[in-house]
Amino acid sequence: MGVLLAVLAHAVAAVAGPWVVRRCGVRGFWWLALVPAAVTVWAAVAAPGVIEGRPVVWAAGWIPEYGVSLALRMDVLGLLMVFVVAGVGALVLGYCARYFAGTPHRGLGGFAGVFVAFAGAMLGLVLADDLILLYVFWELTTVFSYLLIGFHAEERNSRRAAITAIIVTTSGGLAMLGGFVLLGAAAGTYRISAILAAPPAGGTVPVALALVLVGALSKSALVPFHFWLPGAMAAPTPVSAYLHAAAMVKAGVYLIARLSPAFADVAPWRPVVVAAGIATMVVGAWRALRRNDLKLMLAFGTVSQLGFLCVLLGYGTRAAALAGLAMTMAHAAFKAALFMVVGVIDHATGTRDLRRLSGLRRAMPATCAVAALAAASMAGLPPLIGFVGKEAAFLALTGDPVALGGVLAGSALTVAYSARFLWGAFGAKEGHAPTEVAHPPGAAFLAPAGLLAAAGLALGAGAPALNAFTAAYVGRYPPGPHDEPLALWHGLTVPLAESALVIAAGALLFRRWRSVPAFRFPLDAEHGYRVIMRGVDRAADQATRFTQRGSLPVYLRSILLALLLLPGGALVSGGPWPHDVRPWQVPAEPAVVALVCAAALAAVLQPRRLGAVVCAGVAGTGTATLYVLYGAPDLGLTQFLTETVTLVAFVLVLRRLPARFGERQVAGIRVVNALFAVAAGLVVAGVALAAVSVRTAVPESALYPQAAERAGGTNIVNIALVDLRAWDTMGESAVLLVAAVGVVGLIYGRRRPTLPRVGDATGPVWAIPGAPRIEEPEAVRDAATWLRGAETLSPERRSILFEVAARLLFHPMLVLSAYLLFSGHGSPGGGFAAGLVTGLALTMRYLAGGRYELAEALPLGPGVCQGIGLAVVAGIGLAGLAISGEVLRQAVLDARLPLLGEVHFTTSTIFDAGVYLVVVGVVLDILRAMGAELDRRVEREHEEVATA
Amino acid sequence: MSNALVPLPVVLPLFAAGIKLAIGPRLARTQRGITVGVLALIVVIAAVLVHQTDAHGPQTMRPGGWPVPIAVVLVVDRLSALILLISSVITLAVVVYAIGQGSADKDEATPLAVFHPAYLALVAGVSDAFVAGDLFNLYVGFEILLTASYVLITLGGTGARVRAGMTYIVVSLVSSMIFLIAVGLCYAATGTLTMAQLAGRLDALPDGVRLILQLTLLVAFGIKAAVFPLSAWLPDSYPTTPAPVTAVFAGLLTKVGVYAMIRIQTLLFPGDRLGTLLLVAAALTMLIGVLGAVAQTDIKRMLSFTLVSHIGYMVFGVGLATVAGLAGAIFYVAHHITVQTTLFLVTGLIERRGGSTSLTRLGGLARVAPALAVLFFVPAMNLAGIPPLSGFLGKLGLIQAGIAAGTAGAYAMVGVALLTSLLTLYAICWVWNRAFWGERRQVPEPGQVIEGRRGIGGTAITAAVPPPAMTGPAWALVAFATAFTVAAGPMVDYTRRAAAELLARAPYIAAVLPS
Repeated sequence: MGVLLAVLAHAVAAVAGPWVVRRCGVRGFWWLALVPAAVTVWAAVAAPGVIEGRPVVWAAGWIPEYGVSLALRMDVLGLLMVFVVAGVGALVLGYCARYFAGTPHRGLGGFAGVFVAFAGAMLGLVLADDLILLYVFWELTTVFSYLLIGFHAEERNSRRAAITAIIVTTSGGLAMLGGFVLLGAAAGTYRISAILAAPPAGGTVPVALALVLVGALSKSALVPFHFWLPGAMAAPTPVSAYLHAAAMVKAGVYLIARLSPAFADVAPWRPVVVAAGIATMVVGAWRALRRNDLKLMLAFGTVSQLGFLCVLLGYGTRAAALAGLAMTMAHAAFKAALFMVVGVIDHATGTRDLRRLSGLRRAMPATCAVAALAAASMAGLPPLIGFVGKEAAFLALTGDPVALGGVLAGSALTVAYSARFLWGAFGAKEGHAPTEVAHPPGAAFLAPAGLLAAAGLALGAGAPALNAFTAAYVGRYPPGPHDEPLALWHGLTVPLAESALVIAAGALLFRRWRSVPAFRFPLDAEHGYRVIMRGVDRAADQATRFTQRGSLPVYLRSILLALLLLPGGALVSGGPWPHDVRPWQVPAEPAVVALVCAAALAAVLQPRRLGAVVCAGVAGTGTATLYVLYGAPDLGLTQFLTETVTLVAFVLVLRRLPARFGERQVAGIRVVNALFAVAAGLVVAGVALAAVSVRTAVPESALYPQAAERAGGTNIVNIALVDLRAWDTMGESAVLLVAAVGVVGLIYGRRRPTLPRVGDATGPVWAIPGAPRIEEPEAVRDAATWLRGAETLSPERRSILFEVAARLLFHPMLVLSAYLLFSGHGSPGGGFAAGLVTGLALTMRYLAGGRYELAEALPLGPGVCQGIGLAVVAGIGLAGLAISGEVLRQAVLDARLPLLGEVHFTTSTIFDAGVYLVVVGVVLDILRAMGAELDRRVEREHEEVATA
Repeated sequence: MSNALVPLPVVLPLFAAGIKLAIGPRLARTQRGITVGVLALIVVIAAVLVHQTDAHGPQTMRPGGWPVPIAVVLVVDRLSALILLISSVITLAVVVYAIGQGSADKDEATPLAVFHPAYLALVAGVSDAFVAGDLFNLYVGFEILLTASYVLITLGGTGARVRAGMTYIVVSLVSSMIFLIAVGLCYAATGTLTMAQLAGRLDALPDGVRLILQLTLLVAFGIKAAVFPLSAWLPDSYPTTPAPVTAVFAGLLTKVGVYAMIRIQTLLFPGDRLGTLLLVAAALTMLIGVLGAVAQTDIKRMLSFTLVSHIGYMVFGVGLATVAGLAGAIFYVAHHITVQTTLFLVTGLIERRGGSTSLTRLGGLARVAPALAVLFFVPAMNLAGIPPLSGFLGKLGLIQAGIAAGTAGAYAMVGVALLTSLLTLYAICWVWNRAFWGERRQVPEPGQVIEGRRGIGGTAITAAVPPPAMTGPAWALVAFATAFTVAAGPMVDYTRRAAAELLARAPYIAAVLPS
C-alpha cells in the first residue's frame, strides 16, 4: 500500500501545486518538497525489510484483457532509485524556493504542479512491476519534461529544445513499446518480476530487446540520441539538476539495470550497450571539455556519465553491476549538486560563462567548497563515492580491453573537465578582474547542494555498507572472477594504479586542454535529426500537395477509379456472366431507355441552365414511364409529380442565376471525365447483370401480397410505405423536411420573414422595370374577383383566364389529393402523391396570383405544416410503442357508424396524413422561399435601381 | 426479444424536431429545454441498452410488428449499444456548447429555425444507422444524417461554407449513390435486405458476386469513413463550419462509416479475404493523413487531417479480423469520437479567445488563458496516444492484436501505427509550441469582431472569454474521456465481448431470426 500512496501523494501534490504556489509564493516549494521528503523517509523505514529480500509490493487489476495490471514493487534496485528520485527531488524542490525567489515568474504555479507531477511519474517508473505500466510512467515523464524544458516559452531555443526532446525520446519510447508488447507476448505476461524469474528466449525476443534498448538509449541520451540533452539545458536550472542529472535520464539506465540480470547474455544486449555506452562516454566527455557555458559542460558531462553507467549496468556481471549501482548513486549526488551550484553562480553573478567568471573562490568560498567536493567525486578522487565506484568499475571490466580502455579514456577526460569546471567557475584568471557578486547566496540556497556533496563523502566513507545494501540485486548475476566488495582501500591493486593513471592523464589534459582538438565527428547525430525532420516536413508538404488538390473533379475521379478498379476488377477477373439475357420485357422499353439516355446526354451538353433542367426533367419522366411499363403505377405517379414540382422549383431559382453555365473545362479534361463516367456506368451495369443472374432465393417481396391483406389493404406499394416499411418512410420524411429547411435557410439567411398578406402589399408585384405602365381597363377592375392576391399584380402580368382556371381547379385538386390520400391503401395514391398534388394546387395559385395569393390559399407557415407532419409520423410510432410495445404498430378499425355505414379505417392513414403534411409543407416552403422571397428581392433591387 | 428502447434514439429526436418546427422561433427557452432533454434521455436509454445487450444478448424491435423478413428490423448488439452511448454523450455535450455559443453571439433565431431541427435529425440518422438491421434502412439512416449534415455544413450560407459544402455534398451524394447501387445489387442477388438473412444467403453466392458486393459496399463506406484514397474531401470541407458542427461531424460521421464497415465485414462477409487490402488502405490512410497534419498551419485543418489519419487505426483493426483486432477498433472508435469532438470544441474556444485558429497568428496563449491551455493539452495528448489516456489504450490494443496476428503485414502495420503516433505527437507539439507557447501575441479585446469567422447562423463572432456554457461541455468531455482510462478494464472487456459476438455471427442472427 505504501508504494501506491507514495505515487498518489505526488499526484495530489501536483494538482494542488499551482494553488499552493499561488497562495504561498515561492515558499510553497517548501511545502511541496515535504511530499518527496516523506517518501524518502518512508523508503528508509522500509529499507531493512527490502534489503533482506522482502520487497514492498502492491498490485491491482487494470486491464485484464490486455494482461496489464497496476503492479508496483520496491526491491533493492527500486529502493535505491527511490532514494535518488525522491531524495534528490525533495532537495531540488527546496532549492526552487530560493532559485525562483525575487524574480516574478508568471506560470510558476503551473511549473510547480508539473514538476511534482514529473517526480511522481518518475517514482512510478522505478516502482512499476508491469512493463506497460512502466511505459505509462515513462511517457508521462517525457511529456512533463517537455513542459518543463519549455518553461521559458517565449524563447525560441526553449521551444525547439523541448520539441526535440519529446520527439527523440518518444520515438525511442514507441519503439520500446513495440518491444515490450513483443516481450510480453513471448513471456505470456507483462509482470517484470515474472519475466525476470523466467525469461523468454528465442523467436522474437532479440528483436524485442533491440527495440527496448532503443527506448532506453534515447531516454538516457546515449549516442546516437544524445543531442537532445544539451539542448534541454534551456530549462531552468532546477529542472536540469533534477531531470537531466538525477531523475529522467536515469530512466534508461534503470531499465537496462532492471532487465540485464535476465537478458545481458541474449544476442544484441551486451554489444549494443557496451558500444553505445563507451562511445557516449568518450564523446560526451570530449565535448564537455571544450564548453564555456558551465551548464553545458555539465550537460555533456552527464551524457558521458550516462554512457558509463549503461556500460556497467548492462554488462551483466556481478562486479559491473555493483560498480554501476555505486556510480548511479555517486552521479545523482554530485551532478545534481553541481547543477545547483551553477544555478547559485548564475544567480549571484548573472552569468554562467566561465570566460566572464573570475575569482569567485574568494567571493563565494562556501559555494566553492561544495563544488569542489562534488567535482572531486565526479573526477573519482578518494575518499569519495565516485572513487569507490570507479575503482570497482576498473576491476569489473578487467579482461575486456575494449570496455576497459574506453572507460579509462573517458575517465581521464572526466577528470580533465571536472578540473576545468572548478577552475572556470571559481579560479582567478589572469588579466581578469574578479567578477562582481551581486547577490551572495544564503545558506538555504546552498544547503541542498551542500547536502548532496556531503552525501558523496558519506557514501564514500561508508562504502562497505553498500555491499549489504545491494546484495539482493547484485546476487541476481552469476558470480565472476572479479567479485570484490566495495571499499575505499583494496590494497595496492591494478585498479588503483589505473585510477592514478587516469588522474594524472586528466590533470595533464586539463593543463593542455586548448591543444585538445575540437574534433568534429563525421556523423553528427543532431545534424542527422534535423535532416530527418526537414525531410518529414518536406515529405508532408509534397504528399499533401499531391493528394489534397482542393479540386472536386479530382476527388470524384479518384472515387470512380476506386469503383472501376475494385468492383470493376472483380467483375472482369471472376464475375459470373449471365447466359440468358433478355434484352427487354416490353417492346416500348428500348425506346424509352433511348430517350432517357439521349436526355441525359443532352443535359450534360446544354450550355444553358434552363435547357439542362428541362433535359433532366425529360430523363426523369422517361424513368417514370419505365416504372409504369414495369407495372408500378404508384411509383410512376409519384415520379411524375416529383418531376413537375422539381421543375417549378428549378425555374423559380433560375431567375437568380446566369442563363449560361460558367466557364467549361478544357476539352481534354472533359474527354477524361466522359471516359470515367461511361466506364463507371458500364461497371454498374455489368455488376447489376452479374448480381441478378445468381439469385436463387425467393425475394422477400413475394411475401408482400399476403402481408398487405393482413394490413387491411391491397396496394402493396402503399402498404410497404406506410406499414411494412413505415420505419424507412419516417426516416425519408425527415430527409425531405430537413433538406427543405436547409435550402430555405440558405435563401433567407438570418432574416425570418413573416407571412406576406394581401393587406401588406406595397407596389405592383412582378412589374417589368422600365416598361410603360398600363392602366387597368375599367372592365377588369370592376369584374368579379377570382383571386384576391392577383389584384396586387402588375397589370401586364395578370391573366384573367389563368386566374379563373386556378380558382376553379384549386378545390377539385384538393379533393383529388384527399382521394389519393385516403385511397392509397387500396389503389394507387398515398400521402406522398397526395401532398404533391396539393402542392401543385398551391403552386398554381402562386403562379396565377403572385406571392400574396399564397397566404390566401393557405394562411399557414410551412414550418407548422412540416413540423406537425413529422410529429404525427413519429408520434404514431411512439403511440404504437406505448400501446402495443411495437414501434409504428398500425391498427385496423372496422366499425359500423350511423350514416356512413361500414367504415374501414387503419391508423396507417394517420401516418400517411403526416407524410402528406410534410410534403405540403415542403412545397409551400419552396414556394415561399424561392418564389415569394426571391420576388421580393427582385423587386427591391429594381426599386433601388430606379431610385438611383 | 422485442425491446421498446431500441427505436427511441431515432423516434424521439424526430418527434422533437417536428414539435420544434411547428413551434417556430417562439418559446426559445422551452425549445432549448426540449433539445437538451431529449438528448439527455437518449444517453440514459443508450446506457440501459449497453447493460441489456451485455446481459441478455442483442436486442431487437420490429417496427409495425411484422415478422422478419417482411418488416424492417432494428437490432442493437454490444457494438451498436456502445457506439450509441458514446455518440449520445457527445451529441448532448455539443448541443449544450452550441446553445452557449448562440447566447454568446446573440444569435438565436437561426439556431432555433435551422440548427436545432437539423441537429436533431442528424442525431436520429446516426442512431438509425447504428440500430438498422436492414441494409436499406442503414442507407436511410445515412441519408438522414447526410441530409442533416448538408444543412449544417452550409449554415448561415457564407461563401466559404457554401464552397466547402459543395465538395462535401457532391462527394457524399456520389457515395450514397454507390451505397444505393450496392443495396440494389444485394437485393438482386439474394432477394432480401435483412442483414441477418443476408448473412446466410451471401455465403451461398458464387465467390465472384460476393466479392463484387463486398467491394462495392467497402468503396461506399470507405468514402464516408474517409479512408485513403477516398478521404481528400474531408479536410477541405470540415474546417469552415462553426465549431460545434465541425465537432460533431468529426466525432461522429466518419465513425458511422467505420461502424458500417465493421458490420458488413463481420456479419455479411466474414473471414479476412480482403484483409490485406484493408491493411494497405489503413497504412496509407494513417501516413498520408498524418503527413497532411504535419503540413498544416491552421489548427482546424491540422485536426481534420489527424481525423483522417486515425481512421486508419480502426481500419487496421477491422482488417485483422481477429477478436483482438476488432475489439481494438471498437475501443478506438469510442476513443476517437470523444477526443476529436473535444478538440474541435476546444478549437472553437481558442478561436474565441485568441481571435484565430491560425498558427501564424496565435502565440503565448498558455499564459493568457491557462485553463484553456489545460483544456487543449489533455485531449491533444490523448489524440497523440500518450499514456495512460484512452488513445494509448486503443493503440495498445491494436498493437497487441497486430503482434498476436504475427503476419508480416500485421508487423508492418504495427510499425506504421507507431510511426503515425509519433508524427501525430509532432504535429500536436507544433501547435502547442506556436499557439500556446511562443511570443505573446495581442489577443483581441473582448467584444472585438473576429475577422473571417462566423457563428452558427452566419453572424460575426466577437472575441470573449468563453462562457461556462461553452467551456463546461468541453471539460465534461475531457472528464468523459478520462473515465475510459479509469474504467479501461471493464471497457476493454466489453469490447472483446462485442468483437467475439460480431465474429460469432450466431447471436445476432438468432436474435433476428429465431428458428
